[in-house]
Amino acid sequence: MNRITLTINGIKRTIEFEGHEMLLDILRDKLGLTGAKHGCDTGTCGACTVVVNGEARTSCNLPFRMLDGAEILTIEGLSKGKQLHILQRAFIEADAIQCGFCTPGIIMHLYALFNKNPNASDEEIKEALSHHLCRCTGYTPIFEAAKIAQEYIIKKERSSK
Amino acid sequence: MGFKYIGKNDIQRPNVIERATGKAVFIDDIKLPRMLYAKILYPEYAHAKIVSIDVNEAEKMPGVVKIVTGQGWKRKFGDCIHDRLPMATDKVRYIGEPVAAVVADTERHAKEALKKIKVQYEPLPVYTDALEAMKEGAALIHEHSEEHFYVSPLYAPIPGTNIALKYEIKKGDIKKGFEEADVTVEKEFNFPHMSSVAIEPHATIALNKEDGTFEIWTANVGPFAVREQVAELFEIPVGDVRVHVPHIGGCFGYKSDPSIEPLVAYIASFVPGYPVKLRLTRREDFTSTFIGRGIRSKIKIGATKEGKLVALEEKLYLSTGAYADTGSNILIVAVQASGGAYYFPNAHVVGYSVYTNTPPVGALRAYGHPEPEFALERAIDILARKLGMPGTELRRKNFLSEGKSNAVGEKMKKSDGNLYKCLDNVEKAIMSEKTPKEDENYYYGKGFAALIKSPKAATFASKGCHLKFNVDGSVSLNMSGADVGQGLWAVARQIAAEALKIPPEKIRVYNEIDTQFSPWEWQTVGSAFTFQGGNAIIRAANKAIKILKENAAKVLDRDPDTLEYDGEYIYDVSYPEVRVPVNKICRGYVKEDGTTIGEVVDVTSYYRLPGAQNPDPETGMGRTGVSYTMGVQGCSIRIEKKTGKVLIDNFATSIDVGKVINPKGIRGQVLGGVVQAIGETLSEQIKFGEDGKILNPNLIRYKIPGIYDIPVKQTIEFVETPDEIGPYGARGVGEHPMIGVAPAILNAIYDAIGYDFYEVPVTPDKIKAVLEKKQQEEEHE
Repeated sequence: MNRITLTINGIKRTIEFEGHEMLLDILRDKLGLTGAKHGCDTGTCGACTVVVNGEARTSCNLPFRMLDGAEILTIEGLSKGKQLHILQRAFIEADAIQCGFCTPGIIMHLYALFNKNPNASDEEIKEALSHHLCRCTGYTPIFEAAKIAQEYIIKKERSSK
Repeated sequence: MGFKYIGKNDIQRPNVIERATGKAVFIDDIKLPRMLYAKILYPEYAHAKIVSIDVNEAEKMPGVVKIVTGQGWKRKFGDCIHDRLPMATDKVRYIGEPVAAVVADTERHAKEALKKIKVQYEPLPVYTDALEAMKEGAALIHEHSEEHFYVSPLYAPIPGTNIALKYEIKKGDIKKGFEEADVTVEKEFNFPHMSSVAIEPHATIALNKEDGTFEIWTANVGPFAVREQVAELFEIPVGDVRVHVPHIGGCFGYKSDPSIEPLVAYIASFVPGYPVKLRLTRREDFTSTFIGRGIRSKIKIGATKEGKLVALEEKLYLSTGAYADTGSNILIVAVQASGGAYYFPNAHVVGYSVYTNTPPVGALRAYGHPEPEFALERAIDILARKLGMPGTELRRKNFLSEGKSNAVGEKMKKSDGNLYKCLDNVEKAIMSEKTPKEDENYYYGKGFAALIKSPKAATFASKGCHLKFNVDGSVSLNMSGADVGQGLWAVARQIAAEALKIPPEKIRVYNEIDTQFSPWEWQTVGSAFTFQGGNAIIRAANKAIKILKENAAKVLDRDPDTLEYDGEYIYDVSYPEVRVPVNKICRGYVKEDGTTIGEVVDVTSYYRLPGAQNPDPETGMGRTGVSYTMGVQGCSIRIEKKTGKVLIDNFATSIDVGKVINPKGIRGQVLGGVVQAIGETLSEQIKFGEDGKILNPNLIRYKIPGIYDIPVKQTIEFVETPDEIGPYGARGVGEHPMIGVAPAILNAIYDAIGYDFYEVPVTPDKIKAVLEKKQQEEEHE
């Protein structure tokens, strides 16, 4: 058995594992954090995306053993109790959630993007979304949700200054 | 009529917060006590006899609980045709057919043990195309298809051939029709195999309890069909199978008929008391569930020189795959839809569903409609050119409208919709800007296509609504419509709010389907939920209001028919102050001394398509659609010279939906449907090797649209010709945005580069080849 210590959704945890597991396996099977999804097994669909040390990463092909000391944020760590994150509210407002299977991955990717650059250009937003597949929405509502969230985020930043 | 909730945008999708926060429970998120994991062994050949299976070594592998094979099993399953076994017994018919399963403590252990199973095969000839499998002397994929049970003569196979079904329709006099024609067009089209590709792959958990009953958890929109087929397979009462449906990560067709459920139930029967989970990888999702489309058509249409369509003659060939159950229905539907949105006085259409060595063809959003309507809408454009007439004009001259009958002879009513208004809307959106002239980088073009579709479900298909008034006057709604993203929970909440005159927040919509408690529903398919489910809700609401009035009549000393209901009170029409609040009578009325009178307001109602019939066995004709939704799509595109890539500048859709119930939701259906169909038109195709192996069973090589593939703009406009029997005038629309996309784009490609494509997908390399050839010819001149 191997063992590493890392922070997941703000909680420091020491986790034993066999060695072959990907981050997604540990999140889903060991920790019960099932918001990140298995979609394609090849890192193509983006449904397993979480934030690792501030970067959006597909967790289905990220070996867990490489994550000693890492900080990980999953969709479960985004909302604060009943207080939804701005991105989650924007996705609901824009009707960007149909079946909801790709949603957690996309929201986490946008979270990482806007955290790094709240003023990301439309092209940068599209680039982030291009790492995700959604079969329901045709992407337009998702892009609209990203823009709504960005507006909120910028407004909030201004008012806090 | 003024509506309070119908057509309004402020209705939140029930349960959307669960989906936004990652808490919605999907099938693969479920873990049960004692759960075991299965992995499946697939054959090396797409068509072969199984000579022997040796599981000895596999049994000794760590964590292995059981190795399961099909050896000795006899009973087949299906809905209309029973031609399928849960696991291969003596032969395999496609590359994704289960040959054996390992049940182990972990998925990893199961996978390791799979490698130790040894199977010997005797390969047989492989056919992936109907035209090959139909040839005389072709090896039979089912040697004794005549022995398969089928529910009606409609589904009878042709023994001694690979033809699983032949179905034809005859309208008018086809010979006379072509005699009247001044101009004809005769072409062959192909809509190859594709996949639904929900982002959530298939998964199922099955538990066979020691008492013989089954409990199944699965991502399937037809839980009652799963229940019936599993019960039949194991010869137990239907009530002994309980099916749970959690949140579903998209359906798009291939999760609507039992696919892996009978297999997992079969595997679970070898380990009674232990739930077994089978979670398919993306690869298996391509190779071992249902695929879609796979229809070739040879079409001939004729018109007078004035542009009146007089005859339609067509042959359709469905490469139905190894098992024909859903495929036969697809073929029937395709033949019935062959006349599209037009009036043909004379038609003769013959369809063949043919066994092939591919995964079985199942439902794919709008099945049976995009295929023939693609051929027809392209043929109409070509015919218009021959007539020297704009395609839009030829369409207008021949649209189905009040009193005109479609290919199966069903006469349209005025309330079925208005294609002219739809075309006006699309033409306005697409033609308002002039097509730019070819420039250094691009060719430009425009194209149009009409569409039509009816629900096409079993004639007895019903949807139910179980409606309970709670003691505080709030309402609980239980239905079996699976919300796979199309937003039917929101629609259910809205319709219930309107019918019951109470705020949507007071209506709690179910979020899990459980065959033990949910009202029976055939399947959530055919864009039929709003129409049928909506009517079931209205019926249930009326029943509930009737009981409330009867209860109130006893309390108020009035006759029930002198009372009115406003959502909060039942009151005397003439003396509104004589009233009783709903929450005092919804569980009966409790008098001061405690004695209680009246009924509990807890009702269930169902709705099915009124008068839907099976087609006439002789002519193939009949009232097979009942409710039609029609529309028009069009686009302006540009083709990049350097790459051959098609870029869509504006894609316009106008559908006569009768009444928009949920504006945001319906927009989402169109935006998403158009993009899915753009995938089918420009990039998606399951590619088979000659050996029947699938060459691209992953999302890298089977390319579904990403954000860079969507139109720059989508224009969406709805026409609202109220339906006579739809709830508040509404009709179905979920699948329809898929139907006109391929022909509209291919018509636009012709407009841009003067080249006719007869097959999708039109990939950039195909266009590039045409452009290069064109350039060579020009240089030659």
